[in-house]
Amino acid sequence: MMNKSNIPEVGANFAEGEQGKWGMVIDRDLCTGCQACVAACSMENNVAFVGEEDSGYGRSMHWIRIERFWEGEYPEVKMTSQQPVLCQQCGHAPCEPVCPPFAAVHSQAEQLNLQVYNRCVGTRYCANNCPYQVRVFNWRDYTDDRLDPALVTLKNQYNPDVTVRRRGVMEKCTFCIQRIHKAQDKAKSEGREVADGEFTTACAQACPANAITFGRVDNPESLVSQLAGQNRGSKLLEELGTLPQVTYLNGG
Amino acid sequence: MSKNFSRRDFLKLAGVGAATTAVLTGCGPASKYVTRQQYLEMPEYNYNGQSTYYATTCRECAAACGLVVRTMQGRALKVDGTANHPVNFGKTCARGQAALHGLYNPDRVTDPVQRTARGGDATTIMGWDAAVQTVADALKNNQPSEIAFLMGMAPDHLFDLVTDLAKTTGINAPVRFGALGAFESRTTLSKASEVVFGQASIPFFDMGGADVVFSFGANFLETWLSPVAYTRGFSNMRRANHTKQRGYFVQFEPRMSQTAAKADEWIPVVPGTEGLVALAIGKLAAEARGVSMPRAFAGVDAADVAVRSGVKLETLERLAGMFANSASALAVPGGAALGQSNGLGTAEAVLTLNALADNLGKPGGVSFSPVSPLNDEYHRPASMKEMQDFIQQMAAGKFKVLFVHGVNPAFELPASLDFAGASANVGQIISFSTFPDETALLADYVFPDHHSLESWGYQRAATGAAQSVLSGAQPVVSPYFNTRSTVDVLLAAAQLAGGDFATALPFADEYEFIQNKVSVLVGEAGGLFSAPDLPTFIAYFQQHGGWWKTEAGFVTPSAPDALNRNINVSEAQFAGEGEFVLLPFVSPTLGEAGANKPWLQELADPTTTVMWNTWVEINPVTAHELGLENDDVVKIVSEAGELEVPVYLYPAIRPDVIAIPFGQGHTAYGRYAAGRGANPAKLMGPHFNEAGDIAFAGMKVKLEKTGRQQFLSRLESRMGVYGEGMGEEH
Ligand code: SF4
Ligand code: SF4
Ligand code: SF4
Repeated sequence: MMNKSNIPEVGANFAEGEQGKWGMVIDRDLCTGCQACVAACSMENNVAFVGEEDSGYGRSMHWIRIERFWEGEYPEVKMTSQQPVLCQQCGHAPCEPVCPPFAAVHSQAEQLNLQVYNRCVGTRYCANNCPYQVRVFNWRDYTDDRLDPALVTLKNQYNPDVTVRRRGVMEKCTFCIQRIHKAQDKAKSEGREVADGEFTTACAQACPANAITFGRVDNPESLVSQLAGQNRGSKLLEELGTLPQVTYLNGG
Repeated sequence: MSKNFSRRDFLKLAGVGAATTAVLTGCGPASKYVTRQQYLEMPEYNYNGQSTYYATTCRECAAACGLVVRTMQGRALKVDGTANHPVNFGKTCARGQAALHGLYNPDRVTDPVQRTARGGDATTIMGWDAAVQTVADALKNNQPSEIAFLMGMAPDHLFDLVTDLAKTTGINAPVRFGALGAFESRTTLSKASEVVFGQASIPFFDMGGADVVFSFGANFLETWLSPVAYTRGFSNMRRANHTKQRGYFVQFEPRMSQTAAKADEWIPVVPGTEGLVALAIGKLAAEARGVSMPRAFAGVDAADVAVRSGVKLETLERLAGMFANSASALAVPGGAALGQSNGLGTAEAVLTLNALADNLGKPGGVSFSPVSPLNDEYHRPASMKEMQDFIQQMAAGKFKVLFVHGVNPAFELPASLDFAGASANVGQIISFSTFPDETALLADYVFPDHHSLESWGYQRAATGAAQSVLSGAQPVVSPYFNTRSTVDVLLAAAQLAGGDFATALPFADEYEFIQNKVSVLVGEAGGLFSAPDLPTFIAYFQQHGGWWKTEAGFVTPSAPDALNRNINVSEAQFAGEGEFVLLPFVSPTLGEAGANKPWLQELADPTTTVMWNTWVEINPVTAHELGLENDDVVKIVSEAGELEVPVYLYPAIRPDVIAIPFGQGHTAYGRYAAGRGANPAKLMGPHFNEAGDIAFAGMKVKLEKTGRQQFLSRLESRMGVYGEGMGEEH
């Protein structure tokens, strides 16, 4: 078990993972709320759909969602700038220390929050502890074609690079780690480093507004670092000390 | 010749050519498809774990975005945009992403069938030989004037084939229709463009280069005309860089759409006064610039417009000043503003603002996209008035046989036009639908076409691209079911029918037909690639996903007199009675045909976050006056029909307007669509504007309580909006 003294205070300075490796910048002034990223993520990552009733109970499994709020009252009403919210890949992630079987663990190599599906026993502590509400739980077997014959044809689309999850397992955005690995393998086999912009996540690739940029935050030359350095940037709930790797550029 | 060309040979060719990407192509009938195999068995050209990518064209709407589909051993896994395609530059909308849920939909039509009785589910499976014979008999045994084709806005190669057939044989020219086109009021836009700019086509609005954009109800971030291209334009407009400042965007419309939600200012005008507002802004802007008053705006009284439109005079003056002082101002007329009795005048007024801004043909202004290769003119879809005429001909028994492809009129047309009733007087209806939709249920035969991702073809980009584009389609996987290409069916049937039919279509198969069509481009200069001969050209065409010019080819509208003519924006007439104006809008996530794709159903609507259903949006204050809460089911009664829908308290809609999305309310179309939500087409009466488009935003309706509740699934927290809990008062 984890030694209690290893668990830092909330908000404490936490050196490990501070630098980060992969990060994202999302420009809220450009995001139109169109949902192309949500569809792209779901198709890339074998995210299950749950149907009308379960989605009404909040069991839908979107790994990325577009938040928007209303301000004021008619006619002085405004919608706040759309904010796509996905796993923030925290350097100091609240989900990790509470997972008894270490299913939610930190990747030292990639500085990402991993979710090891075959370790997950479904305590859902991680989801309770995530301040961003980006973890989704498989309340049922949404991907079993013995239970839903429609999946016999639909499952042809599943991405063989990504695990298909089953009931009782927690899941979340992985920063498309399968794409990261593929790009790294390719670069390695060609004896070079992964170039900035050589690949991107499914959500960023689809986004028709080009609102999402993905890349190496530990490389000051990368596009994502340049964009994050603008004074419009802020991080979601960063006062909690979670060291999120997603920077939001504020709306106009 | 193509038959001698193997996939291996092609790979060699592709390796020599411009093969910077790993995009492949099928190479002719001999190797048309890659068949689906177990992941354990490797086809010759695959490495373990490696994907093959095919370039093709999206057919989820008619915008002609280029796609690259990732496949592995004959399965299509992921759709993305073609990086250098001039329409979408590597991007897609949500509907394009979910195309695979159409391809692998469990409710596709699996075999050619004969229906036992129209409207019923019972069918018997036929062989394709019998199906082709049925089509041949239908062509041969009827007078040409008794044969009609009703087609969707895509694909163009099939439309061209039927057009050729009609020219030679005298059958009726194919009629094209799509609900998206109707909600975009395309006829009104092209008519107004003809009046103001002298060219009857769809103008292109270069948002990316504009400093100030005034949109009158154009939902260009949702489904309008070419949404991926316009979203790119919006993004470029918003982005400040060293050469330009961040653009300012104002949307005038009665309900805050997803597009208006991105605007810097949303101006909730009284429905039907958009044209007057445009005229008033024109007048005030001309005054602000100190130019002599153009005749187009001279007659309007801004103070009177302020009263009628509900927009304060100071606001009109402020916005007009902004428009006048901007170096690059742009005005865009959208579908709902034109879907009014006075829509044509509104379109003219808004287009004329661009003449005042002097932006015609300039960056950030209005131009015409270059016509596509293989295109003599802009092929506008039928207006609703023309559809009414078509249906009247059906009802009068003029057509002995009706072929339907790529459109679902029994769902998409207003129920008041009574397509279903008129179809009873058509001798024989043959549907080529890939899905068991409402129209296929009315058909005597369904001879299912392949899914678009299993199909050859091409599509012209009517607007949205700077270059002249012919977007190419090829199968990315082999057909999953026992379907057959409609082009192949028609080619074979034409040969069987003989006579003019056989001479009109002397092609062995669809592939040869497409080669024949694109062969005119082989020597064409200035393109993405050039090729010495047809087989090489076709190989590149497939590899790149089409052919387009490398240089922009915008055409400048000629409008010497645009400012110098009178514009008549009459008072909008509303059909029916009731305290609310009804504003139907196309669901941004479902579009006209997305309801059968489960992941599109589970996407949150961008403004309400509702999933899997239909709702009616009511201003919270109005709703509370009526004693209505979220999820209360109301009955909407129009002159033409009625509908029961749950209420969504929508904070950003005029109190005298209610709005309802179009896209749900199917009675067929597979398990994910059927029996879900409601179809506002039921409420629309046959009222048209001067251009013949339906006045879909010009209806008055009544609301009646039902006393029932139906809980909408929403992604947003039920506690979030205005502190309301699960339907309780706050
Ligand atoms: S795809 Fe881009 S514009 Fe659309 S919702 Fe996602 S981030 Fe926003
Ligand atoms: S980074 Fe990948 S996993 Fe995460 S939201 Fe985007 S598409 Fe989904
Ligand atoms: S805009 Fe139309 S053509 Fe383009 S990706 Fe979306 S549905 Fe497909």
